Amino acid sequence: MAIVELEKVRKAYDTKIAVDSLSFRIERGSMFGLLGPNGSGKTSSIRMMIGMTLPDSGSVTLFDHPFDRNNLHRVGYLPEERGLYKKMKVIDQLIFLGELHGLDAITASKRAHAWCERMEITEAIPKKTEELSKGMQQKIQFIAALLHEPELIIMDEPFSGLDPVNATLLQDTLLDLNKQGRTVLFSTHRMDQVEKLCDSICLIHRGHLVLSGPMQEIKSRYPKNRIQMVFEGDASFLNHPSVESAKNYNGMAEIKLRDGVDAQPMLAEAISRARITRFEVMEPTLEEIFIETVGDRVDA
Amino acid sequence: MRNVWLIAKREYLERVRTKAFLISTLMIPLLMGGGIVGSIIAGGKAKSTSHITIVSPDQLLATDLQKELENGKDSRMTVDVISPGNSTTRPSLDSMLADKQIDGYLWITPATEPNARPTFAYTPRSTADFATKNAITSALRSVLMRERLSHDGLVSKDVDALMQPVEVDTTQAGKNADTTSSFVAIYVLFFLMYMVILLYGMNVARSIIEEKTSRVFEVLLATIKPEEMMAGKVIGVGSVGLTQVAVWLLTAILLTSSSLIGAVAGGKVHVSLNAMQIIFFVVYFLLGYLLYSSIAAALGAMVNSEQELQQLNMFLVMPLAGCMFALAPVISNPSGPISRIISMIPFCAPLIMYLRISLATPPAWEIGLSIALMLITIYAILWVASRIYRVGILMYGKRPNLPEIMRWLKYS
Repeated sequence: MAIVELEKVRKAYDTKIAVDSLSFRIERGSMFGLLGPNGSGKTSSIRMMIGMTLPDSGSVTLFDHPFDRNNLHRVGYLPEERGLYKKMKVIDQLIFLGELHGLDAITASKRAHAWCERMEITEAIPKKTEELSKGMQQKIQFIAALLHEPELIIMDEPFSGLDPVNATLLQDTLLDLNKQGRTVLFSTHRMDQVEKLCDSICLIHRGHLVLSGPMQEIKSRYPKNRIQMVFEGDASFLNHPSVESAKNYNGMAEIKLRDGVDAQPMLAEAISRARITRFEVMEPTLEEIFIETVGDRVDA
Repeated sequence: MRNVWLIAKREYLERVRTKAFLISTLMIPLLMGGGIVGSIIAGGKAKSTSHITIVSPDQLLATDLQKELENGKDSRMTVDVISPGNSTTRPSLDSMLADKQIDGYLWITPATEPNARPTFAYTPRSTADFATKNAITSALRSVLMRERLSHDGLVSKDVDALMQPVEVDTTQAGKNADTTSSFVAIYVLFFLMYMVILLYGMNVARSIIEEKTSRVFEVLLATIKPEEMMAGKVIGVGSVGLTQVAVWLLTAILLTSSSLIGAVAGGKVHVSLNAMQIIFFVVYFLLGYLLYSSIAAALGAMVNSEQELQQLNMFLVMPLAGCMFALAPVISNPSGPISRIISMIPFCAPLIMYLRISLATPPAWEIGLSIALMLITIYAILWVASRIYRVGILMYGKRPNLPEIMRWLKYS
């Protein structure tokens, strides 16, 4: 059974339809990416998953059962718009949020200290939130979402505003948690950021599902017809019949092959004419897949 | 329930720990004490101690007046008598006035016709010296009356007996309270209640707005219901108010029972509260607070900033201000139909019903009904408030108009 399942969910606000007949499921233990451009309905979907709003129609399943508030302490949520009490001390804040998620104060305090150590912000513990940098506040918020050891971790734009070092720290932590069997849901418009992380995805656009499923399966649906190569010498192999289009940036070429054509003959031709230092058949990126699918749909 | 408690606890601790809370909690009793001592001192000083001169051709009248002004119950003046005055008297008195040797002089011109009163002209150094003028007027009145009465053949003992002030003892049914002190108590408590409801009600609204601007609600609502958050805020902020009122009341009780103050007041001003008044004060304060803070919570839920809140402030103040106008009719007739109706209106009940209880005991069913009506209203307002809040925060960005609010109420 799925840890989260949305079935034909629809949510309309006064002026616009946020989500319409949206269905997808998140398997237990997966790293799931909820992807789509800004305003596509990601946050609306998340809010319905955790009962902040109710769908106008359709059903939400959480932990194999119809949505039930009592299961919410098994969910950790990092909202897109971060919010902490400015005047409150970090440790008090974490204990308060931990208690709200069902922990007792002592456990919450112990875990808060352990997490702050892990996230390398022990110096922030006795300070007030307003004295901290944005990145630090974000880490505190991140810890707050994880303190109660949730089975389902929902991260809405978790890496926005973080420097690469801290983004990696967060990423590694989430991968770790996933290895422990926890389900992680990323929601982001930066598809490239989660491309390597997620094992399944759901792409939405204007409230509608574009595609969903395991990452590998989705990628295999799209032809591997892009080649990146670096070479020295004669570039005339770029006119090989299997090449649909090619760009040559002074020895670095990006090639798009014709549909269903094997890359080998073109490679053989290239070897005979030039010295090849790199040759890679590229997987389509999520962004490309998205643009292609949405573009198709818009055309049709 | 646990969530409500957690929210309330956080709200309470965060507020109580602030310097602002500490200062206002301590400053008000200090001011209160200072005010009481100050007014007693000022009250003592209100007895005129001026130095005046009386110019009168009628020696008897002048000395009577002198006696009254020097030893009467309202004044301790120094009085010189010039009898009779001549043409140099007035210029010399004027120059004494200018030299600040005297505070004023009273010129008495005898009546030209029999049985008419002489004319009195008082020339003060400062026209603002009302206390002296009043003292002279009242002294003149009693002196003239006494003179007249003895003139009509009464012996002076009878005259004194006649001129005793009349005292009326008021005894409430079933209570043996002295009215002056219970009036003072009502006014003190009434304004305390008014102030606290106003003060802490707005704090609830502010704390809800703070939640919106800091956007903590998004994390909170991932585990708790908006109703729980509302209730927690109202209770938490309310407990802060209660703490402060408790400190203030305690100080007030200490101050009023202190023998020092009693002595200074000459045993005249004696503020006391009986147990029933305190119990009802607590009950009606709590209900009134809950009622007004739930209104404030609803206002807070509707707006996005403190500025917008200012514009809606009047909705909170209006019913309270209305109660002020109801004060006079209720005090004059606490058991009349107008008082009974007003005291049933939930928005006025905490103040007016309490006032009625302190003045005259209303029937138990009326008290019970007013409490029940208030509870129902509180519940209804909180329900509406959490609806507005829930929908409002998820569609933030603009202030809703009335039709929108009505529509929100139907949302789930």
